[in-house]
Amino acid sequence: MERRATKQTMSGSRPDAQGFLARLVASPCCAAITTEDRLDSALASRAEILFILRGNGLNLTPVVRQIHEAGKLVAAHLDLIAGLRADRAGIAWLGRSGVDAIISSHGQLMPAIRSEGMTAIQRLLLVRRSQLGTALGAISHSAPDILEVLPGVILPDVIHMMPRFGLPLLAGGFVRTEAEVRAIFAAGAVGVTTSWEPLWGLERG
Amino acid sequence: MFLVADDGQLDWSPPPGMDAGILIRDSNLPALIRRATSPGPPLAVDIDSVAGLDSDDAAVDFVTGRLGIRVVLTRRPQLAILVAGLGHLCLLHVLAFDSTGLDRALQSHPRRPGVGTVISPGLVLSHLRTGELATLPRPILAYGLIDTPEAARDILTRADGVAIRPDTAARIAASERGLLFASR
Repeated sequence: MERRATKQTMSGSRPDAQGFLARLVASPCCAAITTEDRLDSALASRAEILFILRGNGLNLTPVVRQIHEAGKLVAAHLDLIAGLRADRAGIAWLGRSGVDAIISSHGQLMPAIRSEGMTAIQRLLLVRRSQLGTALGAISHSAPDILEVLPGVILPDVIHMMPRFGLPLLAGGFVRTEAEVRAIFAAGAVGVTTSWEPLWGLERG
Repeated sequence: MFLVADDGQLDWSPPPGMDAGILIRDSNLPALIRRATSPGPPLAVDIDSVAGLDSDDAAVDFVTGRLGIRVVLTRRPQLAILVAGLGHLCLLHVLAFDSTGLDRALQSHPRRPGVGTVISPGLVLSHLRTGELATLPRPILAYGLIDTPEAARDILTRADGVAIRPDTAARIAASERGLLFASR
């Protein structure tokens, strides 16, 4: 009984994709944390969305609770956190852990993430120009809520090569200066994920 | 130097006056053999992307011995060690999407003479800090998303080689000719 109430409380506080996106637009510099010792800094920062890129996926519930108690949202990277397989059961587990959004490079998982009521963020790894064209078809099919491109720092240089995905763009990877953040916003991204603490919570300006 | 990426299907050569080799990638075995046995600039091969060619001892022996290709790109550290052991240059693919991922990728680098680094996407090299750059075993080839002469030249100040597409090579050659005429 107590377990169900907890789940209902967490589900009740979870925004839909539009709500998540609205928070992202309002606070576009998100904290990317890879170790638990960065959690306190991220909680104390102005960043309103925390991206968990490493850690134990089987023990996320208390971390998620802490983040929610701080009034922030949390996205977890299904492919990178330990202990969980990138499949439907792993998604369901993260849903029960209370996360608001799931990031994955696996496009086929996007519908499952959405059906669990979470925001689906698909990672697009920028490697070669020839892959961008094929990515368009794949991403049109997987229909994530948000597309995160990596390495985000080169987004301003490659935006002219990229097809129009028709999705809100996040940029992450090697973003370490305010100038880089501004250039990424100018290129059209709605948000940035960065592990560089001075940038957490930076406003759009 | 510049390495012009080519699938080996065309008899493409660098523009006159351009110091460049050819990187055979996304090719197949017959095209690779044809290219390697034809006259032309020096070749490198991305061995993992040649259809019909395995990434094992026999393939390395064939590519370096029979075909005489002295520069091999691979994603496999063990293969890199093998190529280097034969006295050739191997460049190990390292994906650089974020700083944590770069650190992890470099952990599997053998770090021995004869094994350098292919950094992908090459365009990110402009954004690496000096300390990060110093962790990359040389020689470094920047590979991927470098499509302007300006970006290629800029990255060449940090890398030992830059992989570019044929159209970018043509624009570099054209702009260098323009610079030459402007200086007269």
